[in-house]
Amino acid sequence: MNTKIEHNQEFNDRREKDLLRHILKTSWRYKLWIAFLILVILIGMYGYYRQLKYGLVVTAMRDYTSWGIYISNFVFFVAISLVGSLFSSILKLNKNEWSKPLTRISEIIAVSAIICAIVIIIVDMGRPDRFFYVIRYLRIQSPIIWDVIIISTYLVISLILLYISLLPDLALCRDRLKAIPNWKKKLYRVLAINWQNDPRQVTMLQKVTKILAISVLPVAFAIHTVTSWLFATTWRPGWDSTNLGPYFVSGAFMAGAAAIIIAMYFIRKSINLKAYITEAHFDKMGKLLVLLSLVYLYFNINEYLGPAFKMVGVEGEHITELFVGNYAPMYWFVQLGGLVFPIVLLLFKGMRRSLPIFIISIFIILGAWFKRFLIVIPSLQHPYLPIQGVDESYLHYNPTWEEWTITFASFAWFLLIITVLIKLFPVIPIQKHEHLSKRHPILNF
Amino acid sequence: MKTAIYNISWVLRISYSVLFVFLNFYTVSGQENGTMEDAKIALSFNEEADSKIIIATATNFNNDPIEDLELYFYVKRTFSNLPIGDIFNVTDETGTVKIEFPNDLPGDSEGNVTILVKIIDSDLYNDQTIETIKKWGVPSPSPDQLDEKRSLWAAAANAPIPLILIISALIFSIWFIIFYIIYTLFKISKIEIIKSKPY
Repeated sequence: MNTKIEHNQEFNDRREKDLLRHILKTSWRYKLWIAFLILVILIGMYGYYRQLKYGLVVTAMRDYTSWGIYISNFVFFVAISLVGSLFSSILKLNKNEWSKPLTRISEIIAVSAIICAIVIIIVDMGRPDRFFYVIRYLRIQSPIIWDVIIISTYLVISLILLYISLLPDLALCRDRLKAIPNWKKKLYRVLAINWQNDPRQVTMLQKVTKILAISVLPVAFAIHTVTSWLFATTWRPGWDSTNLGPYFVSGAFMAGAAAIIIAMYFIRKSINLKAYITEAHFDKMGKLLVLLSLVYLYFNINEYLGPAFKMVGVEGEHITELFVGNYAPMYWFVQLGGLVFPIVLLLFKGMRRSLPIFIISIFIILGAWFKRFLIVIPSLQHPYLPIQGVDESYLHYNPTWEEWTITFASFAWFLLIITVLIKLFPVIPIQKHEHLSKRHPILNF
Repeated sequence: MKTAIYNISWVLRISYSVLFVFLNFYTVSGQENGTMEDAKIALSFNEEADSKIIIATATNFNNDPIEDLELYFYVKRTFSNLPIGDIFNVTDETGTVKIEFPNDLPGDSEGNVTILVKIIDSDLYNDQTIETIKKWGVPSPSPDQLDEKRSLWAAAANAPIPLILIISALIFSIWFIIFYIIYTLFKISKIEIIKSKPY
């Protein structure tokens, strides 16, 4: 009988109304934003069409710089995707109450980022049909195969993570939202797989959520560690380091946290969730970001101090190029603007308010992207064997417009997936399952 | 007036170039039609204790030897053709050219290699390619028959056992969890159906 009453009214309480409202209403700003993203994607697709037609020669990648901004972009997206595990695993298992409203945002960002990482690696292959050769001529000794395996696993895990946390809310959408088109009704009905908030269903879901929260962590660490091994197992200056795994993982958590703050800022403004994503959340995120940045700073010092102290051969040339050479402006922007200054600024309470921390996070994200550029490209330009008798164009790397449009299109894809998911589903978990909180405090989300 | 002369001179220059191109085209195509013919190339192979020699003899349609004809020798590889012989291999007055086949080229599992002899861009003879299969290569066993130690740098079939075990165990355990979760979701979806049956 209760169910029938619920059906007759649109919303049960204020929380439901606030968190489901954006699914019903579509603003012109949303349409304009989607149109803009699609335009960027179309331009990128034209660049990709040219790359398919003429081959990878339309890029600036040559014999020495054979990994360009595609690969740095790939590493960036893999890094961003780790944020899902930060919220759904680390913060959750540590019984953080404050981070719960942000969990879904982090899971959506993780799914979107890992999809983009996969797409960009296929773009980098030049001939997309050759991807099947990777499977057909599989060689288990190759770190590239490890990466293919772990990335596809992480994609599945991220999707399940998002889906499981969404399930009760999907049922809520199915039951509450009446003024929506039929395809949406069908979507919620199919995705909600008969969820009725039955105590047995709740218990089972709690159980798998716990299993997932524990098992996603090693997979998340593995995905970025294996990505770092793609570099660490290649004999080039700057990559020949035992530090690379933790260095990548810590950098990923920092970039991911900054991405969450940017997303929080926009979501809070655009769908009016000031009561749910509060200044206190920004303050907490600021503190978390300082912690993650300090860990990353520690690994950064480890990464550069040894080679910079010894300055041996090509390794020394590489360090010189970064510290005072061609890449010095980018290097110091990344290290100071994207790492040291944010740490210092975020120590002040005033800087952890929504607007200042949003601006600082943008610098961190820019720094994170260019950091991946600095990890990939300068190393490739300093091979251990001397470069002799090659075309002048092999010595430099300036990405072509095709590469830039494809890269921007990947960002647009990333944002489009996030936007569509946020538009379709409640961005903050609505159902809380308070009744289980006494017995299993960890599972209270 | 000055401009008019200037313009006329340009018109003349352009018409001259067009005419030049046209005449040139005409002479070239005339040459092709009139004098190009097929050369006959006979290959013989001379194998001694230490050296393998390819002898090519070029003759024209009267069976007269062709002198000074440039021939190109290749061995077919997976992605492109490997040139063998000297940089230029030109027939002598008997129409013959000899080149030495390298002793260390890998062939297929039985040692077969495909030797190509080509005439390319000759002024008098049409382009042609002669293909011969010869058992002159070093037999290369397929990767899984290779008598190599299991190692990180070995072929896929000879991957180190511990590596295979570790990776398989990791993949198995994580995908076991994934399938368990999917199975649980399936069970969740079935619970309500059982409950709703009495209605």
